[in-house]
Amino acid sequence: MADKGVLVVGGGISGTTAAVEAAEAGLESVIVEKNPYLGGRVAQLYRYFPKLCPPYCGLEINFRRVKNNPRVTQYTLAEVESVSGSVGDFNVTVKLNPRYVNEKCTACGDCAKVCPVERPNDFNYGLDTTKAIYLPHDLAFPMRYVVDMNACKGESCGECVKACKYDAIDLGMQAETKEINAASIVYATGWKPYDAARIENLNADSIDNVITNVVMERMAAPNGPTGGKIVRPSDGKEVKKIAFAQCAGSRDRNNLEYCSAVCCMASLKQATYLREKSPEDSEATIFYIDLRAPGKYEDFLRKLEDDEKVTLRKGKVAKIEEDSATGDVIVTLEDVLGDGKMTETFDMVVLATGMEPSVASDKPAGDVALEEHGFIDADASPDGIFAAGVARRPNDVAESVQGATGAALKSLQSAREVSNV
Amino acid sequence: MAEETVDNNQADESADDVKDEASEASEETAVATEADAEAGSGGEAEGEPAADAGDDAAAETEGADEAAEPAAVVTEAVKPDLKFVKQVMASGGEDLKKCYQCATCSVVCNLTPDDNPFPRKEMQWAQWGLKEKLVGSPDVWLCHQCSDCVAQCPRDAKPGRVLQAIAKMTISNYSGGGITKALGSLGGTILMAVIPIAVILIALAANGSFSGVERGEEGQIVYSNFMPIFTAIDPIFTIAFAFAAIVLILGGRKYWNDMMNHHVSGGGKKPAKGFFGNLGPTLSEFLAHKRFRECDETKDRANSHLLIFYAFIGLALTTAWAVVYSDFLPLFGIEHHSPYAMTDPIKWLGNVSAAAGIIGITLILIYRFVHAEKVGLGSYFDWWLIVTIYVILLTGIGAELLRQADVATAAYTVYATHLMSVLFLFLYAPFSKMAHMIYRFVALVFARATGRDVGVGV
Repeated sequence: MADKGVLVVGGGISGTTAAVEAAEAGLESVIVEKNPYLGGRVAQLYRYFPKLCPPYCGLEINFRRVKNNPRVTQYTLAEVESVSGSVGDFNVTVKLNPRYVNEKCTACGDCAKVCPVERPNDFNYGLDTTKAIYLPHDLAFPMRYVVDMNACKGESCGECVKACKYDAIDLGMQAETKEINAASIVYATGWKPYDAARIENLNADSIDNVITNVVMERMAAPNGPTGGKIVRPSDGKEVKKIAFAQCAGSRDRNNLEYCSAVCCMASLKQATYLREKSPEDSEATIFYIDLRAPGKYEDFLRKLEDDEKVTLRKGKVAKIEEDSATGDVIVTLEDVLGDGKMTETFDMVVLATGMEPSVASDKPAGDVALEEHGFIDADASPDGIFAAGVARRPNDVAESVQGATGAALKSLQSAREVSNV
Repeated sequence: MAEETVDNNQADESADDVKDEASEASEETAVATEADAEAGSGGEAEGEPAADAGDDAAAETEGADEAAEPAAVVTEAVKPDLKFVKQVMASGGEDLKKCYQCATCSVVCNLTPDDNPFPRKEMQWAQWGLKEKLVGSPDVWLCHQCSDCVAQCPRDAKPGRVLQAIAKMTISNYSGGGITKALGSLGGTILMAVIPIAVILIALAANGSFSGVERGEEGQIVYSNFMPIFTAIDPIFTIAFAFAAIVLILGGRKYWNDMMNHHVSGGGKKPAKGFFGNLGPTLSEFLAHKRFRECDETKDRANSHLLIFYAFIGLALTTAWAVVYSDFLPLFGIEHHSPYAMTDPIKWLGNVSAAAGIIGITLILIYRFVHAEKVGLGSYFDWWLIVTIYVILLTGIGAELLRQADVATAAYTVYATHLMSVLFLFLYAPFSKMAHMIYRFVALVFARATGRDVGVGV
């Protein structure tokens, strides 16, 4: 049964979970990850809700399971090029893009010191830069440098090659193609943050001190671009008064029609980031249509309600302006439970933007059916095709992990059915 | 019991529940609520004043003596008028129930005051079927159908359309519901058109116009020989005009009084200056069409509506002028009969007005299609007026041209159609969208009187 395992597209929290769960039940699992590291969006978070623990507690467990399990193979910088066959016998062509750094790398960092070129750091949503040869992030798995060939000057420069004591850099490395046979495929292709510039009435693009919730995660993270300080992009001033605009482009026929299911909890969580960093003199206001904190999350909401420096105000932010003299941000809304139309000025505004399935704009190889909003509809896809995580529907990390475990079970069933025939 | 009991701690969730019940739940549930409400003490709400519920519907609650409930309990009485909800939905507000109260509309609207802005609250009231709050409110008419809210509404609930549907209910409420309802469908409109058509045909028959019309001294077509002025046009149109004016004035007055009563019972001060004290500034603001210019999405309407508005004034003046020529000058022994020469200033005014009217209504038509993608094509109510105005203007211009071209049968037919369509508009102005000229104006004056003005005025 060695060849007839499961191929998992995407190595985020859902993909790694599906792969290790299936592998620990005896199935060969292959993870195909586009980025140079595993962990996906979760690696970019500062903390999970509602326990406020760092995401590495979950990720590192998965990474260790990946590392220790001989049945799991993982390819980073890899993309699925084509899929043929059917349940029990999918033939998948995977392109392995060159990393230009081999397994001898110890992540000492000498190469980056001498590299003369910088590139925007996509891990931090472009808030800072890295060298063309870089470690994706402090806790990257695999812990190995990578070269961004779009920025690198190539072999003509070669400074990094000279600096590397371990002979780990090969700027002439070529892409490879790999054929993988699998009984089933799990798509755990995840999501992209919704582009706030597309929300017409919010002007997010033209105002410096309006950021999105994913950027807020990087800002609050100690390994982020500001070293964990929540400061304004325009002038670096420490943020004391912050607003969260919920449903920014969500539940909106002009943008994302659905609720992304996590933004309310994310904003409540992010309010604690600021409150924790300066408990005495920070204030947070969350402007919402409905606050969605289902099930056990309600306790978290109650905790925030009890903080008198946190205001929860019903009314959607429908206009955002900049005070050009101070860089402050002025929001306008109707206070639905209060006195009518109001404006309020903040140091910074965080747009609680939703999650857009990656596959909606970037259709994956293979015969995958998408539902109306672009999420994968596994039921309408051929047998042996499954989806996990936000590729399937908007949900939080806990639900993604549960769904991924379910997808692993489905993969086992596919493999068994076929081998029993 | 007439109350919905709402736990104070959960005021906002519960308010949503109440809303759901009134709007989303099955008809039976909501009807039961209505019946319960009426079975209670004459529909009068009891209990604690809804100080904390903070929701607009809470204002419905009135203080009462037997406040038996503990302090933590707020009571509200919601008396949904389901028929009203259905009427609103049938009159262009069909997406009403999509609204989830985010209030984007109230923010993007440039014509709403900051205090108790519209149209978010109207959407809630309409979902709940609170007819009384809506038809006696100035806000539904302060809306000028800019449609910024329609374009920006995340739910496509079309708040502007809903307000227009409610505005239509205002007309129906104050002018006479049956006719408004009849005009609300094509079949009904055709049926109602029988009256003006019959009146004109009878007048023509009485004049013997069907068995030949005498030509003028120079052999030209003379419409006053086809349809005599003094014995037919004057009485028919004077009566129709007086009828429309009386119905509109009475309706407008009742609307004003209802708004004032709501204002005063809601704790507002009776304004120092009443209707006439605020008439002047409102009029001058209106003559410049300032509010239309505040629209973002449909700013261009300021010009198209302005043209058609002045065209109507111009054509009214032309008519008055013609009355002077035909009815008053003869009293002084001056005979100045139609058809008038093209050099006569009355023709200048008439022709310029007609041209302005055609350009205005055509721009209105073009803009509708231009904006259709974002704000829709509008309701039957709008199209009724657009088509009527087109028929009046085209037959008016057509009659003039055909007379000059000397195509007798066609000229008489078109002229008769023109008279029929003008009479049609006169008779049904108080019951159709045409009545907006009174109700919107009264609302604007009221807003100015009570300080509900957004300061776009003079």
